[in-house]
Amino acid sequence: MNAAAAPLLEVTGLVKRYGGVVAIDHVDLQLWAGTITGVIGPNGAGKSTLIGMIGGAVTPSAGHIRLGGRDISRLPASERARAGIGRTYQIPRPFLDMTVAENLEVAQYSMAPLIGAGPARSARIELLQLTGLLDVAGVPARALPLLKRKRLEVARALALKPRVLLLDEVGAGLIDSEITELITLIQAVADASVAIIIVEHVLRVVRACCARSMVLNFGKKLIEGPTAEILAHDEVASVYLGTGGARQSAPAAPKDEAAPPPRDPGSLSQLIAPRSSAASRPPLLELQGICAGYGQARVLKGIDLQVHEGEAIAILGANGAGKTTLARTITGAINPTAGTLRIAGNDAAGRPAHDIAGLGIAHCMEGRRIFPTLSVRDNLLVAARRVDRATAQQRLAAVYELFPILAERAAQGGTSLSGGQQQMLAIGRALMARPRLVIFDEVSLGLAPIIMDRLYEALATLKAAGMTLVIIEQDVDRALALADKVYVLEHGIFGLAGDPRDIADDPRLRHIYIGTAD
Amino acid sequence: MRLHRLSGDMGILAGAFVLLWFAPSFASDYALQISFRVMIYLTLAESWNLLTGSVGLVSLGTASFVGLGSYVAFGLANHFGAPIPVILVVCALAGAVLAALVSPALFRLRGVYFTVGTLALAALLQLLMVNLPTFGGASGIFLKHDPPPLASLYHDALSVALVASLAMAICARTRISVIIRAVRDDEDAAAQMGVRPYRVKLAAFALASALIAMAGAVQAINLGAIEPYGAFGLQWTIDALSMVIIGGIGWRLGPLAGVLFVVMLGEMLANYPEAHIAITGVILIVLIRFAPGGIVGMFARLFTRSTRLSSP
Amino acid sequence: MPDFGTVASAILSGLLLGGMMGLIALGLSIVLGVMRLVNLAHGVFLVMGAYAGLYFLKLTGFDPLLALPLLALGIAALALPLYRYLLAPLAQRGPEAQLMTMFAVAIILQNLFVFVFSADTRSIERSYATLPLSLGAITVPLIYVIGFAIAVALILAIHGLIAHTGFGRDLRASAADPAAAATLGVNVQRVQMLTFALGTACAGVGGVLIGVAFQFSPSSGGAYLLNSLAIVVLGGLGNVPGTLAGGMILGLLQSLGGLTLGDGYRDIVGMALFLLVLVFRPEGFLAARRA
Repeated sequence: MNAAAAPLLEVTGLVKRYGGVVAIDHVDLQLWAGTITGVIGPNGAGKSTLIGMIGGAVTPSAGHIRLGGRDISRLPASERARAGIGRTYQIPRPFLDMTVAENLEVAQYSMAPLIGAGPARSARIELLQLTGLLDVAGVPARALPLLKRKRLEVARALALKPRVLLLDEVGAGLIDSEITELITLIQAVADASVAIIIVEHVLRVVRACCARSMVLNFGKKLIEGPTAEILAHDEVASVYLGTGGARQSAPAAPKDEAAPPPRDPGSLSQLIAPRSSAASRPPLLELQGICAGYGQARVLKGIDLQVHEGEAIAILGANGAGKTTLARTITGAINPTAGTLRIAGNDAAGRPAHDIAGLGIAHCMEGRRIFPTLSVRDNLLVAARRVDRATAQQRLAAVYELFPILAERAAQGGTSLSGGQQQMLAIGRALMARPRLVIFDEVSLGLAPIIMDRLYEALATLKAAGMTLVIIEQDVDRALALADKVYVLEHGIFGLAGDPRDIADDPRLRHIYIGTAD
Repeated sequence: MRLHRLSGDMGILAGAFVLLWFAPSFASDYALQISFRVMIYLTLAESWNLLTGSVGLVSLGTASFVGLGSYVAFGLANHFGAPIPVILVVCALAGAVLAALVSPALFRLRGVYFTVGTLALAALLQLLMVNLPTFGGASGIFLKHDPPPLASLYHDALSVALVASLAMAICARTRISVIIRAVRDDEDAAAQMGVRPYRVKLAAFALASALIAMAGAVQAINLGAIEPYGAFGLQWTIDALSMVIIGGIGWRLGPLAGVLFVVMLGEMLANYPEAHIAITGVILIVLIRFAPGGIVGMFARLFTRSTRLSSP
Repeated sequence: MPDFGTVASAILSGLLLGGMMGLIALGLSIVLGVMRLVNLAHGVFLVMGAYAGLYFLKLTGFDPLLALPLLALGIAALALPLYRYLLAPLAQRGPEAQLMTMFAVAIILQNLFVFVFSADTRSIERSYATLPLSLGAITVPLIYVIGFAIAVALILAIHGLIAHTGFGRDLRASAADPAAAATLGVNVQRVQMLTFALGTACAGVGGVLIGVAFQFSPSSGGAYLLNSLAIVVLGGLGNVPGTLAGGMILGLLQSLGGLTLGDGYRDIVGMALFLLVLVFRPEGFLAARRA
C-alpha cells in the first residue's frame, strides 16, 4: 500500500437514515489500489448498507464517495458500475433464466457493446476458469447450488473489469471446505490495480484475505487497523459474541437472579395465555424432520424440536444458517416441504399464517416489520384478534406497563420511533395476541447494549411470568443467559444442542460463529 | 453459435418473404385481404411481445401508435402526396418520437403504472382527435387520392412485417437479448452490471412504437378513411395483447401462432363482433390462469424439454 | 365572455360532480392500496351499477336512490366470486396476471352489456333529475346536489370504517405489509376480498348516481376509469379525504376546461392531468398517508 498516493476510493462522512433509525453514522473509509480491506461487525451493524451506498443501490443521506477523485455519491448504480465499481449481492441475484455464460455477457456487453465475439469469449472463458465455473458455463443459473451462485456473483462483478470490487458476505451459508475454496478464489482475483472490500461474517475469510480491517458497530466505525490486531481485540470479540464485555465461561448469573421479579403478575397475565390443565399434554410445539426452503434452495434439512409449556428455548447460528427460515416455517409464512409440525397436538403444516397465529403462536419478526401507516396503538391492536374492546384495552394497558414509552408515543406513526422503541413495539405487538408461545427473532439486532439490556429484561420478566419463549439470536451471551435449552443451527440442521452452560463452554460454538483459528 | 441462430432466422424470414411476395399472383382477393390482416397483426403482436414478453413492460397503448401512424400517413398523403416508403419512414420516426416524449411520464414508476399510463395516453389522443377540427374531428378524414391496389398494399404490409420480424430476430438472437432479459429479470442487478435500464426500456418502447405506427399507416391507407374511434380504438390494444397471450408471451413463435388463431376466430365470428370480443376475453382469462405460455408454451411443454444451452 | 352566473354555476357543478367522482375513485384507490391491483374493470362495474339502477326502477317502480344500500350490496356480492375464482388464484403470480384478468373481465362485461342492453345511450329518468336549484345567479341541477351529498356521506362513512374500526385496522395493516399482517393473525385474503367488494360497491353506487344525473352506455366505463385514476394520483393512494379533494379538483378543472375550450375537452382534462401528475409528482401514487 502506498499511503502517499491518493486513495482510489474515498468515503467521507457517509450517513444513512431510515426514518428514526440511523443505519450508517458518519463513516470514513479510504481504499488504495492493490489492497483488500475487511469490513466486519455483527448483524445489523450497517455493513450491507455501506456496500449498497458505495455501489449505488442505496442513496446516502449525507456524505461523499469519491472514486479516483471524482464524486460519485449521486450517480445511479449503472453509472457507478461503468465508473468501475463492481459488487456482489449477499444473497446472490443471478439472472435465473440465463446461462452462467450469459450472466457474464450482460456485464461484458453493457460495458463494451461492440467488443468482438472472439475476445469477449476468451475473456469469459478466462473468468469462468478463474471462478471455477467453466464446466457449468451453459447451465441456467437457476440450477446452480449456493456456492456456485456465489462464485457467479464474483465472476459477474469481475466481468465489469472493476477498479473497486465489493464482496458482500460471500462466505455466508457455505460449509468449511467451500470457504477454503472461496478464499483461494479471492486471493486469485486480487490484483495490483484493484481495491477490494470484503464485508464478511465468516472471520476466517477476513483473516486469510485482508491485510487491514475495520469493525462496524451500530453504524459507526468502531476500530480500524491491521486485521490480526483487530481480531485479537477484546472489544471485537465482545461485539461478536455478546455484549457482556470480556467473555465468561458460563452464563453470567443463576437464572432466578437474572430475571427481575415480575412487577405485577396480574397485568402480565393479560398477555400470557393460561396453561392447559390436562395432565398428559402434548408438547406445545413439535417439529419432526422439517425441511423447508425457497424455490430450489433447501434451507432446512430435517429439524426436530420440542417445546413444552413454560420453556425458554434459544436457537443460535451464524448468518444464513436458517434461523429465520425456521421461524417462518413454524408460523406458516412458508410451507414445509417435508416433516410434521404440531402445535399443541394439532397438525399445523401447510396451514395459512393467520390460522397458526390463531393457534397461539406469535412471531416477533426479524426487522420488526412495524406498519408505517399505522399509529403505535393501532400497530398493537392489529394483533389483538377476536376479543372485545375491554379485553383489548386491558392488554394494551399491560403492554404499556411493560414498555411505558409506547404509551407516550401511542398516537405517533409506527416508524417515527427509534430502532429500540420500534423493537419494543414489535415485542408488545406479538404479546397483544395473548399467545401461548412467542418466537423472538433477532430482537437485539443493531441495537445499543443499553437497549438490549432493557429488551432482555422484558423477556426475562415474561419468562418468569410463565411465558413460553423461542429466542432466535445472534447475541450468544444474552440468549444463553435466558434459555433453558439451546440449539445451534448449522447449514439447516441442529449441529449442537443441550444445556446452555455446556454449550457456552463448547469450543464448537465459537467455531460455528467466528470460525477456527487455523 | 449465436450468430448461427441469427442467420438461421434470417434465412427462414427471407425464404418466407420471397414466397409470400408472390402470393398476389395466385391468391384470391379474400385470401389476400386475410393475408394483409395477418401481416398487420403480426407487426402489432411482435411489437407487443417485445415490450411485454421481452422487456416486461405491459402496454395497453397499442392503439395510440396505430392511430398516430394512421393520422400521420393521411397528412403526408393528402398534403404532400408523399409516396408510401416515405410515409412509412416518417411514421416510424413519429412513433419513436411520441414514445420518447411520453416516456418520462410512463417510466417514472415501475410496474403497473406504465400499463395504466399507456391506457390513458390512448384515450387522451383519441379525445384530442375527436375535438380538434384540424384533424377532421369525430368524422375523421378521407384519403384524397385513390389508395394503391390491394396487391401493392399487401407488399407494403409484408415488408413492414418483415422489418418487425427482423428486428425481433436481432433482439432475440444477438447480444442485445442478454441485455434486454437482464433488465426484465432484475432491473437493479442489471444496473449493477452497468446496464442502463431506462435507456434499454426506452429503446424497446421506441422501436415497438415505430413498428406499430408503420402498421397503422398501411392499415389506414388500405381503409381509405379514418376516424378517431377506429384509429385510436381500444380494439387494437385488445387484439395485440390477446394475440400474444394466446400465442405464447415471450416465445419467438408466440405472436405468429396467436395471430393465426385470432384471425381465424375473427373470421368465424365475423358477424358477431360482441361475441368475438367476449370470447377473446374468456380465452384470455383461462390462458392467464392455466397456460401462461399460451399455445406455443403448451406445445413446448408437451413435446420438448426446453434446452436453452449456449456455448460460453 | 360568459357572465358571472354561468361561470359560478359551472364551477359549483364541477365541484359537486367531482364529489361523486371522488366516491368512484375511492373504490379504485382502496383496491389499489390493499391488493396492488389497478382494477381495469372499475369503469365497467360503474356501468353495471347504472344498469342495475335502471332495471331496478323499471321492474319495481321504486326510486333506485332510495334502494342504494340494496343495490350496493347486490353489486358487492357479485364481486365476491370474481375475487374468489379469478383473482385469488393469481395472488402469487405478480400484479400483471390480475391486471390482465380484470382487463379481460372488463371487455367481456362491456360486450355482454351491448348484447343484453344494446349499445344505446340510456339514463335513469327521474323527474327531480332535471330540476334546477337556484341561488341567486347560480343554478345547478338538483341531482348534482343530491348525488354530492350521498357521495360525501359515503366517503365519510368509509373514512370512519378505515380509520376507526377493527376491519379498517386490518385493511391498513394488510395494505402496508401483507406478510406481517398474516403472521399477526390477519386473514389477508378475507380482507382483500371484502376490500374488493367494497371498491366494487363504490363503483356501483357511483354508477347509479351517474345514471340518474347523466346518460350512459356500455362503453361509458373507460372515461370514468381513467378519471378515477387521475383522482387517485392527485389525492394520494390510501388518503381518503385526499381522494375527495382530488375528485373535486378534477371536477372543477373539467368544468373550467369545458367552459373555456368546449364541452369535448372535459375528459381530456382528466387524462392530461393524470399524465402530468405522473411526470411531476409520481409519489402521489405512493404517498401512503394515514387514512
